[in-house]
Amino acid sequence: MNAIINPSAPIEEAAALWLSRSEEPGWSVADQAALEAWLEESMAHKAAFWRLRHAWTRADRLSALRASPVPAQRPRFNWRPSAIAASFALALAAGGLTARTLIADAPRTFTTEVGGRQFVPLADGSRLELNTATHLRTQVAKDSRRVWLDEGEAYFEIAHDAAHPFTIMAGPRRITVLGTRFTVRREGEAVTVAVIEGRVKVEEVGSGKPAPAQIITRGDIVVANGPATLLTATSVDRVAAATSWRDGMLTFDQQTLGEVAAEFNRYNRKQLHIEGPAAQIRIGGRFQAEDVEAFALLLRQAYGLRVTDDGEKMNIAG
Amino acid sequence: MVRLFLPPLSHSHGMVDDRTLEAWFCREILPLEPALTRFVRRNWRRDVDVADLRQEIYERVLKGAQAVLPLQPKPYLFTTARNHLINSAKRAQVISFDHVADLENAAFAVDEITPDRHLSAREELRRFHQGLDGLPPRCREVVQLRKVEGLSCREVAERLGVGIDTVEQQTVRGMRALADFMLGGLGKVRRPATAAARTPARRP
Repeated sequence: MNAIINPSAPIEEAAALWLSRSEEPGWSVADQAALEAWLEESMAHKAAFWRLRHAWTRADRLSALRASPVPAQRPRFNWRPSAIAASFALALAAGGLTARTLIADAPRTFTTEVGGRQFVPLADGSRLELNTATHLRTQVAKDSRRVWLDEGEAYFEIAHDAAHPFTIMAGPRRITVLGTRFTVRREGEAVTVAVIEGRVKVEEVGSGKPAPAQIITRGDIVVANGPATLLTATSVDRVAAATSWRDGMLTFDQQTLGEVAAEFNRYNRKQLHIEGPAAQIRIGGRFQAEDVEAFALLLRQAYGLRVTDDGEKMNIAG
Repeated sequence: MVRLFLPPLSHSHGMVDDRTLEAWFCREILPLEPALTRFVRRNWRRDVDVADLRQEIYERVLKGAQAVLPLQPKPYLFTTARNHLINSAKRAQVISFDHVADLENAAFAVDEITPDRHLSAREELRRFHQGLDGLPPRCREVVQLRKVEGLSCREVAERLGVGIDTVEQQTVRGMRALADFMLGGLGKVRRPATAAARTPARRP
């Protein structure tokens, strides 16, 4: 009988272990590749992993909400008589360690050109990746880690260190890192935060009045402009699209050609100009950010649009 | 709308890429888990098989949806479930043919399967705390430290003065039980199947 029905427990346990480990600080690109290889082995692996991740990240969101009274603290389970002394010693050791290991770093400034991208490792082990036309300053001090995003967009992979919060100042918004990986994009006063993994807190600053902070998790995108803040519903797809620039790609779904052109223009000196009704055509797809010629060629082939290239800019008309 | 795609696409195998498939699975299929579990339990005679059958049904559902996402997820899920139960019953000779006939003749009206009402965030939060309360004490403490206080496994191990393996085992247990509970089940802790199964083939 048992040979007929495959036991689900071993797969589910393996999936849970992968999920747990993927949340740990220090999860590397190689680890992620190993996880993806495991998922590719069988659809059963994907089913188990996706199901657990759905429920587990849901729990994350709920604990972030804390809307209803949390049940009173229950007596702590006694692990082992000797455990208390051991944990005390360890906590002391760990405390001493973190206080010493955070190496202070002089303030630094980074700038990328149009179409540029740059990797920036920080002294605390965090990694930043700057997108096109970005200006950013970093400061890792003894007691804090800070980044100012003056302009543009960056991806953040933050080394976990509860004792030294990581803060990003993006104009009117302050983003405090509670988790791991996300992007921040700034255009003047408009700030967009997209979370790939973990948790992030977004607050308004400098408005003179206290505004409620927002905690957003994996799959969330917050768009803040002035006092207005929009939290879009959980959408892992859209986060993936919003962060595809890291692979040199731009991803669109039902966006107007006008919007798409504006996005291409962030990455290229040769600017796209869409004339007339063609700007309202809606398109989707995945394109190389720096190959504006290939994109224009596709528009000509697929829509019969007229493309004129004067070397400086490309005009596209319907 | 016309969709343009420049080759090469991502490394997806079917026409539906994994991200889309996962999003669809979480949005359309997982909310039906209580109804699916009841359906399997009602139509299968051995209660211990329910979780295993459900997992196999999910696997089939995803394989089928990989080519193109079904427009009507609910009928698709329950048709897949029914066919899978019939096939499993036929292969498991211990189960009488009457049972197969029952399933084949069952007045199989998907509309009669009542979906569970959407929980509000508040109800869901209560359910989360109930699920947490239902966990064994060691397991509950680990899950609480990880989920509510946001500590990593390593930090939990340091705080509690236990090995990281212990914390991982309790996390795995809690994760599975909480998922069952939050998706509408009883959230009972299921013991590890085998020692070997506790570690994925490739250790991350």
